[in-house]
Amino acid sequence: MSQKLYKIISNVMDISISELTDKSGPENIENWDSYNGLLLIDELESEFNVKFSVDETYDVKIIEDIKRHLKNHGVSLDD
Amino acid sequence: MYPKEENLSNYIKNAKKIEKINHQKRVRIAILSNFTITGLAESMRVKCHKINVDCSSYVSGYDQYNQEILNSESELYQFKPEITFLIIDSKNLFKEIYDIFYTKSIKERKEFVDKKLDELTNVVKTFTEKSKSKIVISNLAIPSYSPLGILEIKDYGISQMILDFNEKLKTKLKDYNSIYIYDLFQFYYKFGEQNITDPQKIAIGDIKITFDYIPRLAEELLGYIKPYLGLNKKCIVLDLDNTLWGGIIGEDGFDGIKLGPTTSGNIFVEFQRWLLSLHNRGIILAINSKNNFDEAIKVIRDHKYMILKENHFASIRINWNDKIQNIKEIAKEINIGLDSIVFFDDDPRNCEIIKTALPEIMTINLPKDPSFYLPLIQSMNDFNTLKITNEDKKRGEIYHKQKQRVELKEKTNNLEEYLKKLETKVNIKNIDESTLSRISQLTMKTNQFNLTTKRYTEEKVRSMMNNSQMLIGGVHVEDKFGDSGITGTFIIKSENIEEWKIDTFLLSCRVIGREVEQAMMSCIIDKAKKEGVKRILAEFISTKKNLPASNFLEKCGFKNKGKYWIFDLSKEFKRPASISIDIK
Repeated sequence: MSQKLYKIISNVMDISISELTDKSGPENIENWDSYNGLLLIDELESEFNVKFSVDETYDVKIIEDIKRHLKNHGVSLDD
Repeated sequence: MYPKEENLSNYIKNAKKIEKINHQKRVRIAILSNFTITGLAESMRVKCHKINVDCSSYVSGYDQYNQEILNSESELYQFKPEITFLIIDSKNLFKEIYDIFYTKSIKERKEFVDKKLDELTNVVKTFTEKSKSKIVISNLAIPSYSPLGILEIKDYGISQMILDFNEKLKTKLKDYNSIYIYDLFQFYYKFGEQNITDPQKIAIGDIKITFDYIPRLAEELLGYIKPYLGLNKKCIVLDLDNTLWGGIIGEDGFDGIKLGPTTSGNIFVEFQRWLLSLHNRGIILAINSKNNFDEAIKVIRDHKYMILKENHFASIRINWNDKIQNIKEIAKEINIGLDSIVFFDDDPRNCEIIKTALPEIMTINLPKDPSFYLPLIQSMNDFNTLKITNEDKKRGEIYHKQKQRVELKEKTNNLEEYLKKLETKVNIKNIDESTLSRISQLTMKTNQFNLTTKRYTEEKVRSMMNNSQMLIGGVHVEDKFGDSGITGTFIIKSENIEEWKIDTFLLSCRVIGREVEQAMMSCIIDKAKKEGVKRILAEFISTKKNLPASNFLEKCGFKNKGKYWIFDLSKEFKRPASISIDIK
């Protein structure tokens, strides 16, 4: 499932999967601006069939945060 | 029901990858809005690219449309858009109303609507004064909830206010040629407020139209770009079996096909009704079907529930020939480019064959379930025109007459004889307000008999009309079969006392080959002689399609001198004998 997550991120941010780590975020990925951040959340919601709260959306800084919130919504990311 | 859409993120990503190379056409658009509408420009760029158009865009800052329009130096004007879209969200425009609603009288609410309307229309009018761009402004969507609840409909409530606003917006702007109203209200109706809006997105970024619906909005707005660039479709070519009726005539027989007041028969009646309404607005219909002619034509002629009759079709090919050959013949008979044709067929193999052999044609493989035929054709934005002229409304009839002319030609074996029998009357008049939009339309659409293929918007034609150095003629053609309307135009520029230059000279394909072109030229030459002009300069700019006009200048006695062809006005020009010419 982690792979699926990375694939979505790589697609939205237009960056190859190999360049992504759990510490990737707006700080180190050029395309990750606030708008693309929202787009990402939107696609994650439909791909994983979850709904994040506004607070959760704002809380996302790096990929690690996404994983944490997905887990809270019961999405298992174990490969 | 609506075709699937890709994720917005794909559009945004792909938009960046489109290189500015070899597009057939280009367009510059500006997007203005009073809410966050990121992704629309990218979606339009990708969608335009798919139809071979390079779409570059300018997107104004969040809710900056007022300032951008009022400031002549703004980036908006520097960008020089050709089409500007102003998309307005009703809740943002009517913000205050929610606070004051209960405290205001109905009269005051009406005044509030008028005030908002004036503000917006004044801004739009200012824009048209400062820019040559067309502007497409959205009307307002009605919020589905009101503080008045169930009493909303009894009072002059919010929905009533917005309906009122929309109605007045339409009335106020309808006489402006460069202003169009996009029915955003209907967009919300079509896709539903519940789907389009997401309270979280609004809270986070004032994103009133959620990501999934941005590409759909882009698709709708493409409906303006296509006719602007002359990419709209003019002709629908239809199969018969399982297209205009259910079943196969050769197997099911006259009484066995599905057409009429039964569940599955109704579907085809409704589909035909829609086709008829397209025909009535100027879309040409034709048939390309593999069948026994007698069997199939009997349905068209005699079936009680057949909505489309023989005279609605400009060309009919019912035979066992190759469908590719048939469609080529149809195009030739109607005198229309393949790229103006849409072909509908239920058989995927036929569609594939046409698609491969004639990629210029837009081929639509009808859905398996015929109940989706109607929504499919209804959702197509390829038949739009920016204006419906009188010629459009009469087009169906005009093509039917054309068929009769061809029949006469086949009966008469001598061309001269045929032309005489047609009793053609050509009436050439200087352009005025009543003919301006048709003349612009002719420059936009005429490909074949067109010396220079210069495209002129209405605004451009108007500015030339007001230029005393220019002469613009509208050519009205009539013969014994009927009135073809204004089917030709020429634009002449007086270079100096001695020289006139033909900037544009074109004739709709419907009237080619009837010496109307010679009549037009003789009119220009007469006028020039009267003004004491010595020479007429003309140019032939070759395109993929204007071969029919390639030797016209030579035939008229122009001599080639490098870039230009020159007619020496001391020489005589032979007026066509078969035509009566009336010049005003």
